[in-house]
Amino acid sequence: MSIPAELKYAKEHEWLRIEGDEAVFGISAHAQEALGDIVFVELPEVGRSFDSEESIGVVESVKAVSDVYAPVAGEITGINEALESSPELVNSDPYGKGWIARFKLAEGADLSELMDAGAYQAYLEE
Amino acid sequence: MAPFAGFEMPVQYADGALKEYQAVRDGKAGIFDISHMGQVRVSGPDALAFLQHVTTNDVSKLVDGQAQYSALLNDSGTFIDDITAYRLLESEYYLCINAANRHKDVAHLQAEAAGFSVTVEDESDATTLLALQGGEAQTILQETTSANLENIGYYRFKQVEFCGGTAIVSRTGYTGEDGFELYLPNSAATQVWQMLLDGGAVPIGLAARDMLRTEMGYALYGHEISDQVTPAEAGLMWITKLGKGEFIGREAVLARKKSGPARRLIGLRLTGRGIPREHYPVVCDSKPVGEITSGMYSPLAGCGVGLAYVGTDVADSENFAVDIRGKHIAAERVKPPFVRSNVRR
Repeated sequence: MSIPAELKYAKEHEWLRIEGDEAVFGISAHAQEALGDIVFVELPEVGRSFDSEESIGVVESVKAVSDVYAPVAGEITGINEALESSPELVNSDPYGKGWIARFKLAEGADLSELMDAGAYQAYLEE
Repeated sequence: MAPFAGFEMPVQYADGALKEYQAVRDGKAGIFDISHMGQVRVSGPDALAFLQHVTTNDVSKLVDGQAQYSALLNDSGTFIDDITAYRLLESEYYLCINAANRHKDVAHLQAEAAGFSVTVEDESDATTLLALQGGEAQTILQETTSANLENIGYYRFKQVEFCGGTAIVSRTGYTGEDGFELYLPNSAATQVWQMLLDGGAVPIGLAARDMLRTEMGYALYGHEISDQVTPAEAGLMWITKLGKGEFIGREAVLARKKSGPARRLIGLRLTGRGIPREHYPVVCDSKPVGEITSGMYSPLAGCGVGLAYVGTDVADSENFAVDIRGKHIAAERVKPPFVRSNVRR
């Protein structure tokens, strides 16, 4: 299972790439594999502010509906509209073309709860 | 794997539900292990009269080698189960029943058999049921038998020798594609399964099976039909032959027909983005009028589709929507199937 070293990970299996005061996030390879074929993604609206662990989107596989939780607090600045017509990108390229949204980190957003690749690997093995 | 009615059932195989679905819809073939389903043999001089009494469809219309979709009702006119009845001989029939209802059905049939000269035997544990469905089904199956499959019509069957046992091979299914169902003695099951895999059939799990049947608008016990639902509500009056004479539930169905069913099963095709799921509320002119019983994303239709019970007073309306996480997503009422059926008529 691919766990890129340059990313951060949350307990609900979201990944996060921090770029200055913004971050891009999606769901991990482990999460998409567990969900199976993804057939629908509901994206957050640009401009929406959210707290850490708030549900800010939905991914649906053939059989299951799963919330996507905010890894940290922030405000949406961009969404991956390609997922509306090609939700399968979350399966085929979860860390690349399957990214879900970009957001501005909230002032004082707490990144300490996020895991690095090694810690996430260990978390998956628990 | 998921537990169901005492069986460990595959939800999906390694390539995933969508690829399995596509193998069946795109003119290839899928193989389904549906051995969990129950089989009951009814035999004896009163077999026909007994089945006319316990089932809704007109069994007298069957000839040897013909099958029919039918149902068992209780005295209230609601469903004990939906079944397929196969006529082997005028005095011998074979019923395929739902796994979850097996013990209930067998107890009911045996209790009702008291006044008839018939034997009701539960053969479920000795029987493996495999379905081979899709455009290539006949080609693949024909490689394994010298019996002529081409002349088995829709809802017709033959008894065929397979790996040392006699199988019922019927042109029936639950996918909307051409194909067969094979009732095999357990001793032949693994060998036949392997032969069909070797012939190019793709194994299909429960998730894809549910997609295929939902796209056709086929009822599934526990979803569209149950002991709370009558045939008129479920759109199953076509298997309920009120003119054939007495049968269990007939009086109640007649009474319900007179008063008019309170709700009706309809098909909905979402025009907005979203997937209807079981129990999601259905609204009409922004008022709640019912709920989804089965729903899915249809890859062929390119949108969400679902079956729903709605109040009869609004059933012919046009302004439906499905409440998906608090948002009303517009839906148009359509008569299932949601995609074209390719069964051989």
